Amino acid sequence: MNEIVKVSRRKFLVSSLALGGAMVVGTQALAATVDGAPWDKANAAGTTEFTPWLTINADGTVIVRATAVDIGNGTLTQLAAYVYEELSPVWEKIKPEYASTNRDFLENNVYSTPGGALAYFSGRSTGPARMDTYMQVAASARERLKAAAATRWSVPATEIMVKDGVLTHAGSGNSAEFGELLADAAQIQLEQEPPIKDRSEWTFLGKKAPFKVQLPKIVNGSLIYGIDVREPGMVYAALRQSPVMGGKLKSVDKDAVMSMPGVLAVVTVDPGENVPTDLKPPFPFGVSTAQHAVAVIAEHYWQARTALDALPVEWDDGPGADWKTTEQMNEAATAAIQQAGDKVEASTGDVEAMFAEAGEDNIIEADYLTPYCEQAPLEPLNGTALVTEDRVDFWHPSQHSQMAYMVAADETGMPPEKVFFHQTFVGGGFGRRVFSDDARMVVAVAKKFPGRPVQVIWSREESTRQGRYRPLMAGKLKASLGADGLPTALLGRMAGGPGFFAVGMADTALTNILKNTQIESQTVPFHILTGPYRGPGYNSNAFFIETFVDECAIKAGIDPMEYRLKLYAQWPDIGWVKTLEEVKAKSGWGETLPKGQGRGVAVANWGMGGKPDEGTTVATVAKVEVSQDGVLKILQLDVAFDTGRIVNEDAVRTELEGGTMFGLNMSLNEGLNIKDGRIVEGNFDEYPIIRMADLPPQINVHFGGLSDNPRFFEIGEPPTGVVGPAVGNAIFQATGKRIRTMPFRLHDLSWS
Amino acid sequence: MAVSLSINGEVKEVDADPQTPLLWVLRDYLGMTGTKFGCGIAQCGACTVHIDGAAVRSCQYPLESAAGSEITTIEGLSPDSTHPLQKYWVEMNVPQCGYCQSGMLMAAAALLQEIPEPTDEDIEQYVNNICRCGTYTRVRAAIHKAAADMKA
Repeated sequence: MNEIVKVSRRKFLVSSLALGGAMVVGTQALAATVDGAPWDKANAAGTTEFTPWLTINADGTVIVRATAVDIGNGTLTQLAAYVYEELSPVWEKIKPEYASTNRDFLENNVYSTPGGALAYFSGRSTGPARMDTYMQVAASARERLKAAAATRWSVPATEIMVKDGVLTHAGSGNSAEFGELLADAAQIQLEQEPPIKDRSEWTFLGKKAPFKVQLPKIVNGSLIYGIDVREPGMVYAALRQSPVMGGKLKSVDKDAVMSMPGVLAVVTVDPGENVPTDLKPPFPFGVSTAQHAVAVIAEHYWQARTALDALPVEWDDGPGADWKTTEQMNEAATAAIQQAGDKVEASTGDVEAMFAEAGEDNIIEADYLTPYCEQAPLEPLNGTALVTEDRVDFWHPSQHSQMAYMVAADETGMPPEKVFFHQTFVGGGFGRRVFSDDARMVVAVAKKFPGRPVQVIWSREESTRQGRYRPLMAGKLKASLGADGLPTALLGRMAGGPGFFAVGMADTALTNILKNTQIESQTVPFHILTGPYRGPGYNSNAFFIETFVDECAIKAGIDPMEYRLKLYAQWPDIGWVKTLEEVKAKSGWGETLPKGQGRGVAVANWGMGGKPDEGTTVATVAKVEVSQDGVLKILQLDVAFDTGRIVNEDAVRTELEGGTMFGLNMSLNEGLNIKDGRIVEGNFDEYPIIRMADLPPQINVHFGGLSDNPRFFEIGEPPTGVVGPAVGNAIFQATGKRIRTMPFRLHDLSWS
Repeated sequence: MAVSLSINGEVKEVDADPQTPLLWVLRDYLGMTGTKFGCGIAQCGACTVHIDGAAVRSCQYPLESAAGSEITTIEGLSPDSTHPLQKYWVEMNVPQCGYCQSGMLMAAAALLQEIPEPTDEDIEQYVNNICRCGTYTRVRAAIHKAAADMKA
């Protein structure tokens, strides 16, 4: 009659029932018989071992466990939506929560094996692998509930409907809520795992865009960010690290502040004190290295901050102070690209022969520069740690829970099974909170004041000056142009400090269309520490390349849009031409503009790794106005993109708006100066951020560039790379002035 | 030194240095963490509260000046998140990370109290808070919607 189901008692489910009636779908047994095989798409169907992603409670609450941190990109909501599509619980009863890093460690990486080093990372969070995982687990739970109902009602499971938390059988008039069937469903073992829905069967995904689950708490001020953690007995620490990175603490006069109101202690951090462990973190511990520092601990933050400002401290700056000025560093980076770089990133054909053949008149060469930039999340760096003899609790607005957890274990020497990481909400990530150097500093301070929770807060100035920056980068591009004006050979050189990102030059379409390329990189011994800033490497190289392509078009006497259409027609990924055609049509490209106005275009791809039909391509057109005395106004922005396919249109639109604004500020405003090895700028009066008034009323996001290639790629980082060169190219049209360095506000744009 | 503050219609006693910025009094002494710290120099607006109905950046407003005034924080914008601004902020998916939004909402609420039908220029002038995630265009649109609601 109905499908054969095995009814069996399973030990772990009996245990979980004893814990209060919850059915845990996808838990490995509490016993040590954990199967280490990764849960991935290929293994999903036909397996009877689940991973602990989903719990259904007796009251119908559905706990969805997420590893990826939601930094405002809507991860938690999207994972809930995947579950909802297959399981159909009551939407409001879906409760996303973060998967425990402690449990992950104890149970042989049960949560981090699918996804590896990036499992707990705040990006790449809702793509096809995760979609399949959550839909599979949800479908399995649904079928087990149906099987339980089928047995109870003596009807075929195929006749049972599941909707909004209720199972019904029309023929017999039976119905039950999830909670009523949990005990029975927990004992079901399916003969065969159900397939997940095809895209064509979706009733919710791609059709409804629910508001993000955390919004109700945001709008009444009750969402808890890292800096909002309040634990019993908590004290506060104000932190100051060596002003020159790599410097050492020379002396500190603690007695000078110990009697100030509320002050409890003055502690120091010396990275040399850390005893390395043999833990295996997702990224090398080196990226989380601490700096020499002092911290004042007090009952209240303002007391700590006031005392810190009064604290006599002397530093031994170290060799970083030899970099005395911004100009000196810029010159060093620019000098480095005037000869062959140490590392060859790509080499095809014979670039020098092509250049010789082309002759000087058909050669174009330019140097470009992008400065150190700070991600400037609006929540200053912070964290809270309680270190005792046999346990560490650590609350942190991390972008990578597992990295922060491992760093806490490494810094305290506490075995990871005794470390408990509590992921909070995050007041902006943008890459700053991945390397977990901030996590290490918090724990390093807190372990010097054990037994009470210590919340360490960076002032805005300290956050700005102790960054892990978008690297200072110089870029040289040189091309020979053929009779049709298009490039025939390309030399590209990049230079930056240790760890700078080369992404976006050797691995982009232009370099792979051409048959004669030479791409090199060179490391310059800068001391300033760097890290991922929204679209790392790409956010500089897209500027270098798309400004250069524009210069080639101008030299060839060809409209910059037509030039790119011709150029990228040679690339097998149709998304490039499609996105360009879309913004060309939607932006009004070609319509005559009054003097002082101009349009510019840029197109680039984040994540393609040199291959067609990969990554996300974005084409942006900017229309600007420049007054005669050089004041820039952004009149219109049009963005088209190809990420293959999308699910949540509103969430995608949000990321493209936000990423465009982020890249716009990066290009127009952001740049840090160095004086005697120190970062100069401290707060938003010196490091300007655009406001609402600086923008047109809309960022026009267009969906006609989508290729429908079956990839659902990332969307947060791609838009940051193209808006800058689009604006720069527009400024050229408006003023005749060519911008080759960021930030644009340093340039004199006046014209006559 | 003990000070009496009237916050969201309730009287609260605080014992703190009179020069302590109201922001930290709220967050640390009173545990009201809805008002946020972003910069400390009144540049970003994340700390915006109402003092006698006017939008004030509390990071630069000392405790001693706040005594005797009616203070409204994000927690008191409405009793149950029913202010039209709060409703449209949710419906229109205005926030991303959300950290700046307490201040954004308080600035917007003060604007609508003064100018019930604001122009784009009014909004840009009154609600010039910093948002790093880039929600400005949605903030502006949601304010217009809330204003229309409140007028009706």
